[in-house]
Amino acid sequence: MKRIVILLVIFISGAVVFPFLDALVISTISPVWKAENVIIRSLRKGVALFDSKKSLVEENIALKEKLSSLETEILFLSMGRVQENTLLELVGRKARSDTVIATVLTRPPQTPYDVLIIDAGSNESLTVGSEVSLPEGPILGVISEVFPKSAKVRLFSASGEETNAVLERNNVPVTLVGTGGGNFRMTLPREIAIEKGDRILSPNIASRPLATVGEISVRPTDAFQEVLAKSPTNIFSLRFVFITP
Amino acid sequence: MIRRVLVSLVIFASILVLPYWVYVPILFVGAVLFSFFWEGILLVFFVHVVHGSEVTVLPLLVSPLALSLLIVLVLLLPIRESLRSYV
Repeated sequence: MKRIVILLVIFISGAVVFPFLDALVISTISPVWKAENVIIRSLRKGVALFDSKKSLVEENIALKEKLSSLETEILFLSMGRVQENTLLELVGRKARSDTVIATVLTRPPQTPYDVLIIDAGSNESLTVGSEVSLPEGPILGVISEVFPKSAKVRLFSASGEETNAVLERNNVPVTLVGTGGGNFRMTLPREIAIEKGDRILSPNIASRPLATVGEISVRPTDAFQEVLAKSPTNIFSLRFVFITP
Repeated sequence: MIRRVLVSLVIFASILVLPYWVYVPILFVGAVLFSFFWEGILLVFFVHVVHGSEVTVLPLLVSPLALSLLIVLVLLLPIRESLRSYV
């Protein structure tokens, strides 16, 4: 009984004290993550010198990442970015260009939730709620906590996170529910036409890609269809992100 | 005692650099292997501070992981006592 009380005291103390330490802890640990990134990159280069087969595999992975990035960019460009900017200028809503680029310090699966820690913070004018996107355009999430030199980004795919979006095919407003690991789920009436590969866009004027439809499951007796969607990029290999303060 | 400190340090380092599917199981293994593994609770709160989000199960900003470990530790206490009495 005494031990249970001690455990409860430790638990309650931890729950009360630790949330106040996050800024201090993350500022202290950020250099470790930066060093880790540098060491891992150096190690990869070093090993590649001795292992040609492995270097080919790594090159293959790098090329696949590049291909994925280019595919995402094409996806975004297909919307006619130039035409969009012209239209925005015509209606007096110029696209903002004051973006900040940041390196991703930690990403899933290192973090158990869909949270990123980036190396830019309030010193770079970032605030809670700033949009975080890929260099290619798709939007990933928003900043949830800001520290002087770092910030936490909560991805839209974080478990339970609800995001308003629009289904591109028929302009139907939908609510994406994050399920973790860069995945989403949404429920739609079965009459709404949807196909694998359809894009789901942000509901604002920029209409940036949020997800692409992966699987659709509907049973003959159901009035609704469940749609599984995935993030337009692999969140497990993110290296850089853009933030719009 | 030294082993216990070493395991705690290993978990601490894993939280910083390894994926969650490495350090979360190690935490629970530590809770099973060592009696009264109270350090685990602090380490789980550390996970929540470093990698955490707004995922909570109580209004007290308690992470589900921390609550799970507490339950495991509390459940293990009487089980350990029972096991010892038969040794």
